[in-house]
Amino acid sequence: MASTAQDPSAPLLRGDKKEEDRDEETEFSPFFGIEKGLVLQEARIFNSPQIDARKCQQVITKLLYLLCQGETFSKKEASEVFFSVTKLFQNKDSNLRRMVYLVIKDVCPSADEVIIITSSLMKDMNSKTDLYRANAIRVLCSILDSQLLGQIERYLKQGIVDKSPVVSSAVLVSAVHLLEGNSEIVKRWTNEIQEAQHNVHSMVQFHAVALLHALRANDRLAVSKLVSDLIKSSVRSPLAQCLLVRYVAQVIAESTAAPTGETRPFYDFLESCLRHKAEMVIFEAARAICNMRNVTLRELLPAVTVLQLFLSSSKPVLRFAAVRNINKVAQTNPGAVVNCNLDMEALISDSNRSIATLAITTLLKTSTESSVERLLKQMTSFMSDIPDEFKIVVVEAIRTLCLKFPQKYRALMNFLSNVLREDGGFDFKKAIVDSVLILIREIPEAKEPGLAHLCEFIEDCEFTYLSTQILHLLGLEGPKTKEPAKYIRYIYNRIILENATVRAAAVSSLAKYGALVPELRPRISILLQRALHDNDDEVRDRATLYLRELGGLNGSTPSQSDYIDLNWTLPNKNLETCLRQYLENGATQPFDLAIVPAAAAEKPRAETGKSKGASALANGPAPAAVKQEAEVTNHAAQLQAMPQFAMYGDLFKTCAAQQLTEEETEYSVLCIKHIFDGHVVFQFDCTNTVPEQVLEDVNVIVDLAEAEEFEEETLIPLPRMAYGAVGQCWAAFSKPAGALTTGRFVNTMRSRVKEIDPSTGEEEEEGYEDDYQLEDVEVAAADYIKAEAVSNFRNAWEAADAESEMTDDYGLGVKDSLQDAVEAVTAILGLKPCEGSDAVPPNARSHTVLLSGLLPGNVQVLVRMMFGIDMSRNVAMKLVVRSDGPETSEAIHQIIQNA
Amino acid sequence: MASIFNWLLDWLRSLFFKKEMELSLVGLQNAGKTSLVTVLSTGAFHEDMIPTVGFNMRKVTKGAVTIKLWDLGGQPRFRSMWERYCRGVQAIVFVADAADHDNLDAARQELHDLLQKPSLAGIPLLVLGNKSDLPGALSTNDLIDRLELKALRDREVCVYVISCKNQHNVNITLEWLTKHAKS
Repeated sequence: MASTAQDPSAPLLRGDKKEEDRDEETEFSPFFGIEKGLVLQEARIFNSPQIDARKCQQVITKLLYLLCQGETFSKKEASEVFFSVTKLFQNKDSNLRRMVYLVIKDVCPSADEVIIITSSLMKDMNSKTDLYRANAIRVLCSILDSQLLGQIERYLKQGIVDKSPVVSSAVLVSAVHLLEGNSEIVKRWTNEIQEAQHNVHSMVQFHAVALLHALRANDRLAVSKLVSDLIKSSVRSPLAQCLLVRYVAQVIAESTAAPTGETRPFYDFLESCLRHKAEMVIFEAARAICNMRNVTLRELLPAVTVLQLFLSSSKPVLRFAAVRNINKVAQTNPGAVVNCNLDMEALISDSNRSIATLAITTLLKTSTESSVERLLKQMTSFMSDIPDEFKIVVVEAIRTLCLKFPQKYRALMNFLSNVLREDGGFDFKKAIVDSVLILIREIPEAKEPGLAHLCEFIEDCEFTYLSTQILHLLGLEGPKTKEPAKYIRYIYNRIILENATVRAAAVSSLAKYGALVPELRPRISILLQRALHDNDDEVRDRATLYLRELGGLNGSTPSQSDYIDLNWTLPNKNLETCLRQYLENGATQPFDLAIVPAAAAEKPRAETGKSKGASALANGPAPAAVKQEAEVTNHAAQLQAMPQFAMYGDLFKTCAAQQLTEEETEYSVLCIKHIFDGHVVFQFDCTNTVPEQVLEDVNVIVDLAEAEEFEEETLIPLPRMAYGAVGQCWAAFSKPAGALTTGRFVNTMRSRVKEIDPSTGEEEEEGYEDDYQLEDVEVAAADYIKAEAVSNFRNAWEAADAESEMTDDYGLGVKDSLQDAVEAVTAILGLKPCEGSDAVPPNARSHTVLLSGLLPGNVQVLVRMMFGIDMSRNVAMKLVVRSDGPETSEAIHQIIQNA
Repeated sequence: MASIFNWLLDWLRSLFFKKEMELSLVGLQNAGKTSLVTVLSTGAFHEDMIPTVGFNMRKVTKGAVTIKLWDLGGQPRFRSMWERYCRGVQAIVFVADAADHDNLDAARQELHDLLQKPSLAGIPLLVLGNKSDLPGALSTNDLIDRLELKALRDREVCVYVISCKNQHNVNITLEWLTKHAKS
């Protein structure tokens, strides 16, 4: 920047031309086909006694180009280039000199070599030419060590108040880089920097403000003070003013939210910036206001008003900036930007498509129910001439709009089906189909028209993926509609017209109609029979299978039962194991499906463990919670089905599975703890990973030496554990009802091992007893806690017995942040954060977290945790517990003490 | 009158027979390299010089000859880089402190190390024993022995004892240099 300000002659012009070339006609770029080896060869001319300045400049330009393109020089090449460049140092040609400075900074030779130019740079630093002074300072500051800095500090200090703006900018910018590691020395220049801040040149002022801020960046109070000083001293340069607005925004973001009704600190300043004469300051201020946390409508209003003025500006950049900002505001505060709707509607036909798309999506967000139809009409004309990416944005906006105004589904669905018929790439079509699928799922009334649109779409769809997806959906949803028959034609057309994948999907889909709608079954059977002669194996196989299931094979009358379940219930893994065994045994008799163990040996999913982490993500919690819920009901049903455990009452909680064996050992055993009111049940999921042996009478022997309060009640062994199959054995223990009994269980797996002869596949008769040591299982107090949120924590807290309250203070040691501490403690307790109190505001020094949960017997536990962090990152915590009695509260404290 | 005539002759000659030469000055720190450059270019001697960090480049015009002088720093961290600036010069000038007996061994070591580099083969060498004004300064012959200059073959070697401070022998040095300039 400095050099361009100084010397806007030839090289700059060349630079401009270079850029144009790259934009318009890449193949004619002067740099096309440059090779590193060749350029390095050319660089030898730097060593010649007669220096051709022009030629040298060209070579340096090529070197710089290579470096910018990401080419790297080896250490040897770099020092070779560097040393030859140093020979150009005394050349009188100022343009060449400038290139020399640039290339030295970019080649960055090793530190022990670069010092060779120190003396030359120091001479240049005191040269009479501003250009040499500024550039030498920049290079010198990027190579010096702290000792040398001490030597030249005097010159740098003078440089800050140099009468040439180029030089003083150079020092200020270098100082920003020097701060890292040499902040003490830079701090001594404060007087000079403050003087530079009043410099008449805007660039110097800008750099001075940036440096002043950088000097204080670590100290919040100092930044705040600097900002108020700067506001008073009225910064003139628009660039510096922009910077100041950013710092103000930062101060506002870090300050604790003011009580409602009171004006924020510095808000007046931001508002006054909205009337600044430079557009960039106005925009920066508007952006800062829009991005404030918890911004109120009243605060937003002035910002939105100026943005609205920008909307009708003649400069596309301003229109874009304004509409983008308004779009952002519309996501959080749609009400605030309603006034701009008229101006934005004018932008829909803007020649700049980015502006138009942003305008339309903003409009879709802010539109009221009544204006939807008008908007849609405008969009239809506009959709055909925007590229696919923008169309996708529009489709997504339509989807959200439709979910917002379900009554308008008809118009929106029609719009979607219209655009679906237009030309477009896969991503675009997929976005539309996905949107329609979501709408069908979310809005029941939209189902039938939606299915009809999709049917029409697959009549002329070139994307196999989408066709199969839609056929699957038709199979699921179609039979449940009032007139299932009308979809049959569309589906059958696919069997005639499409490729093998789609045909197979269509067969499956058709079969579902046959299974679910008895009236249609004979007709479906006829259609399926036609598919029996398909030339694709998969299609034929499916048709055969379904015909058999429907009972329509060989012309026999289809089964008359109302409902046929086509769903495949056998676990694939079990089937695979059985089939493997069947083939190994010679496959003499027909395979009998009945021998496949149907008991879904459900593999404990890895997600259970992850779900806690995932729930921290913004979009994660809902599905994760649903999954957990589903798993709990699953386990509950399974336990209820076992007579031994039926009388234990309702399952209170199932803990996450714990691996009791190392990875890749002979057996894999997982333990899942099920907590009942007065009992604890261990479920051991055992897998045999050795093909040459079979285990029988598998029992997990549990030693209660370190769990004295538990009493063993039942052990259920696993009769047989074949290779690859998952089986369960169980152990149940009783404990005092209601108490949070803890203990450590030492487990051994005892079984009879029978070797399998690998050649014949036969098992040996006798086998031998084997004990296999498993890892210990611990039942901790946290296992008894079920995370359960309360809707109103304050009410629940007041309602809880104050007598039960227990308070204690804890030091948590050094943590990275309060958020870390909160997450750690919450995880230990296993309680549910209430009212979003687990999110710590950025930079907060203290925070209160509210937690709630249930103990066995549905005892409610409420916890209030106060965290504080000091300058050295030590975290202290005060924990207040309320529950049904002091003993229970004490037990919660015990959890923390033991952790 | 004669001097004016001579000067005029020199000037006229310089117009027609311009010569150029490039040479490198090396030697241990505080030997007087930068002082020599100042004396050669300005004719004046300055007592206090700061150590050269890196190198200085000076162009000196004497009569018809333009001399490009690479004055290299003598501190240990720069010595490995001397060779890069000695390649392709017309002459290497090695400056030693003739009065600093303790460091002459180190100077000898550095000189011989440098001249062993194949890239510098055949380049004429001028060894200057500086600070001859100080008591205890070595004579030319002593210097030749201490620096083992007799062991150097395959190149032209010349030794002078000079004093930058008193401008002693500076003129013959210059004469030697201009003689080696290429036209």
